[in-house]
Amino acid sequence: VRKLRAWGFRVLDLFEKRRREAELSAELESHLQLHIHDNLRAGMSPGEARRNALLRLGGMEQTKELCRERRGLPALESLLQDVRHAVRTLRKSRGFAAVAVLSLALGIGASTIVFSVAYSVFYHALPYRDFDRSVVFEIRDVANAGGWKGRSFFSPEEIRAFREQNRVFTDMIYYVGLRASYYDGKTARYLPAGAVVSANAFEYLGVPPLLGRTIAPGDGETGAPPVFVMSYLLWQQEFAGNPGILGATFVLDGKPTTLVGIMPPQFNAFEASFWRPGGAEGGAAIMGRLKPGLSVEAAQADLDVIAHRLQKENPGGIFPATFRVFAQPLLDSMVGNFKTTLYALLAAVLLLLLIASGNVANLLLARATAREREMTMRAAMGATRGRLIRQLLVEALLLALAACGVGLGLAYLGLKLVVRLIPKGAVPDATVIHLSTPVLFLSLGLAVLTAILCGVAPAFQVARTGWQPRLSGNAGAAGGLRQRRLRGALVVGEVALSIVLLAGSGILMRSFLILTHTNLGFDPKNVLYFRFSLPDIYAFKFDDPVSMRQARQRKNALTRDLLEAMSGLPGVISVAESTQEPPLKYDWSDTIIPGRPHTERWETRFESCSEGYFQTLGLPLVRGRFFSKQDVAEARYVLVANQAFVHRYFPDQEPLGQKVKLEVLDRPFLDAPHDTYFEIVGIVGGYKTRDYDTRSWQSFPQVFFPYSVQGYSWRTFLVRTAGDPNGQLNSVRAAVRRLDPGVQIATSGTLEGALKEYYRSPQFEFVTLATFASVGLALAVFGVLSVMVYTVSLQIREIGVRLALGARRGNVLRLVLLDGLRLVSAGVVLGVLGSYATSRFLANQISGVSARDPLTLTVVVATIVVAGLLASLLPAFRATRVDPVAVLRCE
Amino acid sequence: VGDKKDVRQGTLALMVLRTLDTMGALHGYGIARRIEQTSGDLLSVNYGTLYPALLKLEQEGFIASEWGVSANRRKAKFYTLTRTGRKQLDKEARAWEETAAILDKFLDPELSS
Repeated sequence: VRKLRAWGFRVLDLFEKRRREAELSAELESHLQLHIHDNLRAGMSPGEARRNALLRLGGMEQTKELCRERRGLPALESLLQDVRHAVRTLRKSRGFAAVAVLSLALGIGASTIVFSVAYSVFYHALPYRDFDRSVVFEIRDVANAGGWKGRSFFSPEEIRAFREQNRVFTDMIYYVGLRASYYDGKTARYLPAGAVVSANAFEYLGVPPLLGRTIAPGDGETGAPPVFVMSYLLWQQEFAGNPGILGATFVLDGKPTTLVGIMPPQFNAFEASFWRPGGAEGGAAIMGRLKPGLSVEAAQADLDVIAHRLQKENPGGIFPATFRVFAQPLLDSMVGNFKTTLYALLAAVLLLLLIASGNVANLLLARATAREREMTMRAAMGATRGRLIRQLLVEALLLALAACGVGLGLAYLGLKLVVRLIPKGAVPDATVIHLSTPVLFLSLGLAVLTAILCGVAPAFQVARTGWQPRLSGNAGAAGGLRQRRLRGALVVGEVALSIVLLAGSGILMRSFLILTHTNLGFDPKNVLYFRFSLPDIYAFKFDDPVSMRQARQRKNALTRDLLEAMSGLPGVISVAESTQEPPLKYDWSDTIIPGRPHTERWETRFESCSEGYFQTLGLPLVRGRFFSKQDVAEARYVLVANQAFVHRYFPDQEPLGQKVKLEVLDRPFLDAPHDTYFEIVGIVGGYKTRDYDTRSWQSFPQVFFPYSVQGYSWRTFLVRTAGDPNGQLNSVRAAVRRLDPGVQIATSGTLEGALKEYYRSPQFEFVTLATFASVGLALAVFGVLSVMVYTVSLQIREIGVRLALGARRGNVLRLVLLDGLRLVSAGVVLGVLGSYATSRFLANQISGVSARDPLTLTVVVATIVVAGLLASLLPAFRATRVDPVAVLRCE
Repeated sequence: VGDKKDVRQGTLALMVLRTLDTMGALHGYGIARRIEQTSGDLLSVNYGTLYPALLKLEQEGFIASEWGVSANRRKAKFYTLTRTGRKQLDKEARAWEETAAILDKFLDPELSS
């Protein structure tokens, strides 16, 4: 403690230096005076008295120095001195400082942006309590056979079994999507998607409400008054943020329900806009919180045992024959794909940072050479080697801190841009991405690290070489050469890294271009799509065949009438009905063909549509015919297949006239023709599709059948228009209202818009990587330039002599260019090897192109070589303008 | 060499504390003279070595200083023992006595023979 106190004083002394110094002088002066006085009294002469006093004191300055060592912190003081000196020298060479700071700032800025996104997504994606221990799971069919791939829906009995028998969760909730209308006094209005949740769900999530209360476990008890909770967004959009509605009773689906709470912004658990407690009669998804310290794998194994026990106890239940439970962290289920994107971006910024560091190291080395005289002078004046090295490191550190400042500024601006670019759905809506303290510290740490990395080489360069020859003014050729090699190596490294960066980004960019320029097989221009939310009279009960038939008839009548009405609207070219708008397509079925038993799964995508579908999308007829009006009106069991289907299942047979059954339609709960074979009447070109799991376009076997044969599917309408499809929406809406005022258009958009939305995810990679790659290229080119300028400056004498001896300017030009080319090609070789070595990390991120795409690599190499040569041209031309006379005179 | 100096520094500090304890407030020159009188050669080389010792003691909080006027009406910085300084003096003195006693026994010619 004493020591600490003493140190405290010493630190304080730093700030009171001048006063302390004056006081010490005064004290020692008074000491002298007292001593002189005594001496005089002892009979000495005044001169002698003073001399004796000074002598006995041991010298005024020496004593002061002794005291100074006791006071303050000499090490810190000299460090401050170094900092002051570094600021002075950097200010003197603004150009150098600006370039170095900018290089590093770009590297640090880019890293900070990506770190921020990664940090927010990995560690703060969800506002829920212990969200990193939340696990969701599903049952997956492990055999490539049959019509089930798995499910994440569980029956109430299963939910109870999982809840009671699991040994891995501290608590467990269930939730299921809900569509509900409420009666606002005049009409029934549909609310956006909501969720029925178990009564403990809000306790589980642990997010306090903005207003009122959340759903409490007591709300789930039988006889508890019905309540619900609303999202902030719904509250704002539908009720203008009126706090008065809290406690009001809404008639939700005909049942009076009290609004007890409003959740804070960002909260959108289960992607719902309102939540009410309820049972899981129709099945629900499950989420559980792992006991601390348990792994997801452990949970998976435990749940797997329970699921298999359930299968054994319920023969004939909805379990695939062979399955396993697949569990994953909640976060992974929400950001799965974006995670790989983030890893790619992290790799890219790391490369960028390395390139920038190489650049700064290079600049510092060049500067160290230019300052040899200064260093030699300082060494001669008594500066120790350690002190000089420290001086250089302090300079590098200062540069890095400045770069960090600028970089963070860039990151602040850039992050806003990047956040806007992040595709919707890539990260949970609840994730707020911003610059956070840990990321700031990480960036600062990176800056310091780069400073040390960049500063060490030049510093030791200074330390290693002797001083003597420098003072003579004859810049030693030996030290220069060694330095040249070091700088050359740095540039080779930079070029190699930028090749890896450019090649990686280039391949991802090419993949994006291929993706967006794929011929999809249909014409997405000027097509409007929309879907309904239907009033109750179109609903049916699963266990009531009569209600099913009625609902089907109503739905089909509405569809027919609307198609009829819309085709007469001005500006409408053609209209069609479908299940989902292309290119989305995840309805699939196992394919049953008489006399063609198969054990593996024969997967076919299917679409129920009207006769106008093919014309509206512009699908070409290959053989046979499209649906006729009668086919649809009479609900005939006819099928149009695409070429991929024919190719896959009837490669050597006449497909027309063949009978095919779609296994999925046999499901007892679907209002569809059970055990019915459809006859193939036509072959179309088909179009590229995608589902939610894959990134790339798929050419699946597809079939189409008339919508009128079934009553279960969504109805998505497609309208091909002459002009802007969005402009058609109003007249379409009016047509719908004329047919049935209770029907509302719930979702609408254009096919082009839907495609654009789909492209946003690869586009995000495209834009960010293109930016990072260009910055990396610029930095590498700058590195080549600076080294070539330096090399030429070293060779000036040699060039002068050559010119004096009759060398042509062209020869000199070639000499320098070849030098540059040597550096670049060494980098290219290393870089190509590097990008080959790292290509496998890209493989699952791209589609339509190989991870070692030779074309991309060629373009990248050519770009770098040309850019490198251009960077060498400037110093080369300067070399040809060397005046031999002037150079030789200098000698 | 360093060890010897450290020992001496420690001794010097103890002497300063002891001097201030017996003499009350005293300026640097006064302390130096007093120590010189009692210890002979410790400060014989120069008085200057006293000042870093004073500074250290003050930083550690064992002594306090204040500007005042000397007997012959000169401005001087006077040092006084603080309460912790007095405790420190007691502690150090006791430790010193113990050490001295041990060394005495150790160096006692009758024992070593």
